[in-house]
Amino acid sequence: MRVAFLLHDLQLSGGVGVVVQHARELVERHDFDVTLVLTHEQEQEPWAFDGLAHLHVEGLAQARAQRFDLAIATWWETTFSLFELHADRYATFIQSLEDRFYPPGVPERSSAALTQGLPIAFVTEARWIADTLRALHPQAPCLFVRNGIDKQVFASPERIDVRLDEPLRIVVEGNPDVWFKNVPSALRCVEHMREPRHLTLVTGNPGRVDSDAPDKIVGPLSHQGMAQLYACSDVVLKLSRVEGMYGPPLEGFHMGATCVTTPVTGHEEYVEHGWNGLVVDWDDERGTARALDLLARDRRLLHFLRTNALETARSWPSWEQAGTFMAAALGTIQRAPAPALGGTRLLMADARVQLEYDRRLAHEQIELRRAARFARVLKRVPLIERAWRARRHPLLRALLRPLRPLLRRLLS
Amino acid sequence: MPDWQERITRETAPAIRVEHELRYAAAAPLVHASAAWCDLGCGTGLGTAGLGAPYAGTAILVDVDEGAVEHARTAVEANALVALTADLTNPADLERVRAELLDAAPNGRRCVTCFETIEHLSTFAPLIELLLGLAAEHDTSVVASVPNDAFWSIENPHHRTTWGEGAVEELRSLLPDDHVVARQVALQGSALALPGAPAEEVASVRVEAGVPTHVLLAFGPGADALAAAPRIVQADLSEQRRWERQRESDLQLLEATTERLKEETARVAEFRAYIHELEDRLGLPRAGDAATGDAS
Repeated sequence: MRVAFLLHDLQLSGGVGVVVQHARELVERHDFDVTLVLTHEQEQEPWAFDGLAHLHVEGLAQARAQRFDLAIATWWETTFSLFELHADRYATFIQSLEDRFYPPGVPERSSAALTQGLPIAFVTEARWIADTLRALHPQAPCLFVRNGIDKQVFASPERIDVRLDEPLRIVVEGNPDVWFKNVPSALRCVEHMREPRHLTLVTGNPGRVDSDAPDKIVGPLSHQGMAQLYACSDVVLKLSRVEGMYGPPLEGFHMGATCVTTPVTGHEEYVEHGWNGLVVDWDDERGTARALDLLARDRRLLHFLRTNALETARSWPSWEQAGTFMAAALGTIQRAPAPALGGTRLLMADARVQLEYDRRLAHEQIELRRAARFARVLKRVPLIERAWRARRHPLLRALLRPLRPLLRRLLS
Repeated sequence: MPDWQERITRETAPAIRVEHELRYAAAAPLVHASAAWCDLGCGTGLGTAGLGAPYAGTAILVDVDEGAVEHARTAVEANALVALTADLTNPADLERVRAELLDAAPNGRRCVTCFETIEHLSTFAPLIELLLGLAAEHDTSVVASVPNDAFWSIENPHHRTTWGEGAVEELRSLLPDDHVVARQVALQGSALALPGAPAEEVASVRVEAGVPTHVLLAFGPGADALAAAPRIVQADLSEQRRWERQRESDLQLLEATTERLKEETARVAEFRAYIHELEDRLGLPRAGDAATGDAS
């Protein structure tokens, strides 16, 4: 089967990594012919994902000249390019309900939501997304394929070691600038702890960390680096507000680390409060700090949670198994009757134009706000304020009248 | 030491055997309503006792192990029997199975059972494709089962994939909307044998939703005819004890034999070194060097 996965870019991110892994499995084990189609001009060199060498990577212009059995969008922005490819079937691989990444009022939010209503097949990695999509679009085929875990990289130990009296070793992972990762809150929780602890923060953006809580800041780390870090950690602290499949705590589980997490979407697939992790409430930084203190103090509980975390990890599928489900899912989409796309192509073209227009408006709005702020500051200067008031004086108005066209031209 | 009962034999623990028979009992209404029935991963065929009555149509018994298929041929009672050795990951073998099933009942309804097999396959995508195609286009009802290994985090060395609630949900998303899911739950119990009481008692048991040991999935025409009655058998403790003790005793014997073999090997090596030493002193070529490739 000839399959095109549309990607925005090939930079290091969990979402891109998942697509590359699936593509690799489909090629190596299921005899698929997979092309990664990059929908945007690439300014940076692609991240060196394992297995890229086995895949065709092409730009949109090259891909337009080919025919595929199946074309799959993998990020909401890539759906705008989906119908530019010639394919017998179209699908979208949804890794999160991506409109939630944007605050209300931002043009991207409504556009991302729009792409979840396309009359094409959905493949998703999280059961909560599958349930949501089925409720929203009962007629649309929705296939559920969990992400695998690289069991060679996140190679679980046979047994975990008992840790009795060292400081609680905590990992916080994520970009502090991404609002829904809630990293600053996680750092504050650790600051509120009373028991001995050692915090490692993993971020690709260390310059943006405004906290004394971390004992160590590292990153960006490869999967191997993350596996090593988890192996010597007790707990992964994640207080995200938006997640898709929610991979990091599960990777920690594989290496024998438990987790303290918010009840974020995706956690319900494998985190069980009091069994393999602790689920804390939203915005409860004191309560979260107490949960961490409890783990630091109660080594019997910590060991129990870590033991069950490791057992939970053992039953999670490998990439080989996930790839088999993906192959079966794509086969099912291919065999199903082609859905009537109607005016979808035109609609998407219109939506794209509208998005660009809205983005421009939003940009202008930001510029105007900035200019207005500057003007307000200027007006507070006494001399300028007096001049501003004086401009309304009839005599001055009469004197300035001949200069008005020139002033207008200067200000425009 | 775990006892992986991947092949049902006469010595299999009663609890495992009855579990397997129950799956056939559940599929029995669909099997008996079909002109041709294909049992994928049939093994020794002993579980088919759960069908309750000889099968009146053509039974196609499929397994990767030729010996198991031959055994199944003697265990399954059917009007006509076809035995096939096939690898269910191989598209060509799957095509043979498909052709055999369609030939066996060109116009009538068909049934496929596939119990405790999917998890043994390195790739199950071609098999799922076959089953979905048969159900959609060839009037075939399908009943399959997978284990709930994930609950206990069982790492069965014979299983190529891990199954549990999540994997079942993934599989369900591939099936037609009207598929039926049955969760097989374990029962435990005991009974009193009173003197003079009838030899057979009918036990009633309250079955509630609980953690399943296995999940059965049925789809295709008539999938809702899946039977759900529990199956309870008296444990033959005498047989079970015999089997378990035999196994323990065999294990000890093999361990002792291995030890003995190691000692013998060491003694031979020592003796050979001595012979070589003598040969060297006498200026003779070393015996066995050329013939055995021994470089010592």
